[in-house]
Amino acid sequence: MTLKEQIRANRWRTLWLLFLFAVLVGLIGVILAYAFRPSLLIVVGIVGIVYGIFSWISAGKIVASATGAQPAGRAQYPRLYHVVETVALAAGLTQPPPIYIVDDTAPNAFAAGRSLDTAYVCVTTGLLELMDERELEGVIAHELSHIRNRDVRLMSLVAVLVGVVALLSDFLFRISIFGGGRKSGGTAGLIAFALGLAALALAPIAAVLIQLAVSRRREYLADASAAEITGDGEGLALALRKLELDTTETRHASRAVAHLYIENPLNQASGMRRTMRSLFDTHPPLAARIAALEEAGGFRLPPA
Amino acid sequence: MVVWIVVAAVVVVVFLFAIVTYNHLVRLRNEAETGWANIDVQLKRRADLVPNLVEAVRAYAAHEAETFDSVTKARAAALQASGPAQAAQADAALSGPLNRLIAVSEAYPQLRASENFLKLQEELADIEDKLAAARRYYNQTVYRFNSVQQTFPSVLVARPFGFHERQFFETDQRDPVDVSFAQA
Repeated sequence: MTLKEQIRANRWRTLWLLFLFAVLVGLIGVILAYAFRPSLLIVVGIVGIVYGIFSWISAGKIVASATGAQPAGRAQYPRLYHVVETVALAAGLTQPPPIYIVDDTAPNAFAAGRSLDTAYVCVTTGLLELMDERELEGVIAHELSHIRNRDVRLMSLVAVLVGVVALLSDFLFRISIFGGGRKSGGTAGLIAFALGLAALALAPIAAVLIQLAVSRRREYLADASAAEITGDGEGLALALRKLELDTTETRHASRAVAHLYIENPLNQASGMRRTMRSLFDTHPPLAARIAALEEAGGFRLPPA
Repeated sequence: MVVWIVVAAVVVVVFLFAIVTYNHLVRLRNEAETGWANIDVQLKRRADLVPNLVEAVRAYAAHEAETFDSVTKARAAALQASGPAQAAQADAALSGPLNRLIAVSEAYPQLRASENFLKLQEELADIEDKLAAARRYYNQTVYRFNSVQQTFPSVLVARPFGFHERQFFETDQRDPVDVSFAQA
């Protein structure tokens, strides 16, 4: 599969997932309408839509504040500016994106924003300290390909959708537990009520599963595009190796933004907990990504 | 009747194909033009920088007149170049003298310590890196643009609508200018 075909296949898959998302939300709505008063549902639906639109409009800002990202000054970070501007030229972007920085010793990076024009890249101070120029180029190329392949739009959208579902189910869960709106007594009413509760509990899980499916594949694709942009897949592989060996946990990362990062900011657990969590990883394992880069680029990193 | 439907269907398909291919070619042409504009920006930046660099070195090493002369001449030639192929030639011709100029500067510790020179050198490194990046993108785009024009069936659209193959920005004999951004 060429890169372009991969992008196209990816887009179809993405549309499918968004469709599934809509079906999921609709289905929950129907169950809830049956279990609770429909009028309540309309109110909640409106709240959800307004909240969704609001967070979509300010998606970039919300992500920035959720991660603690600040605009980076050119005078303070000349090397970072140099690398971002250079890689942006190699990627064929019409202009380099704004650069943000997170004051965090854990090395990580992400790109966010609603569109090509509003997208920005963000790196942690830990990343700048850890990476040499070649590795930093690889990481930045990875992030810029998320922007160029229009991944940021989708990933920000997913962050917003997951947020909406989480908010709504949380809200409804509370209402239903405190006896807000049981439609009628009797067995049928109880069954409907139980179904409603189950749907509410499962909704965030389903939303997260969709989030995963959207993002995992995109990491491989962004790695491949990054190698194409810089012509140096080995640089990126070396950077990923450093991320693999590093165990510092990113401080300001939450479930809703985890899939934006170049490396999963949450997955630092070990043993049993790690195995459990890997089911819910937003990212493929770094070792697998390094292996994919090695195969495509025809090189081998020395063993860690 | 059936014949006419078939004929109409064929005409529609051919027409759609022409539209899609035409749009694809236009998009590639725009990408190539953007790519070239990006290269041009860096070439101009360097043409502006070189006289300052020469002056900075001359202040400490006045007797290296021959080096200054060759750099100045190569810069003037680069400004005259038109089109990617010529520009690439001129760029290669400038890289040699520029490298000599940097090498000359190595011998003068005071010069190397001067803030002005360090700044100029850093800017040169910045330009060289960006030039290399812009060149990569441009050449990749031109390669795609030219391939689409040469291959069947898109060649049937490219020729009548006056698309032309673009020149690559490349030469065999260019030494990279030996300055790195990190050192400064």
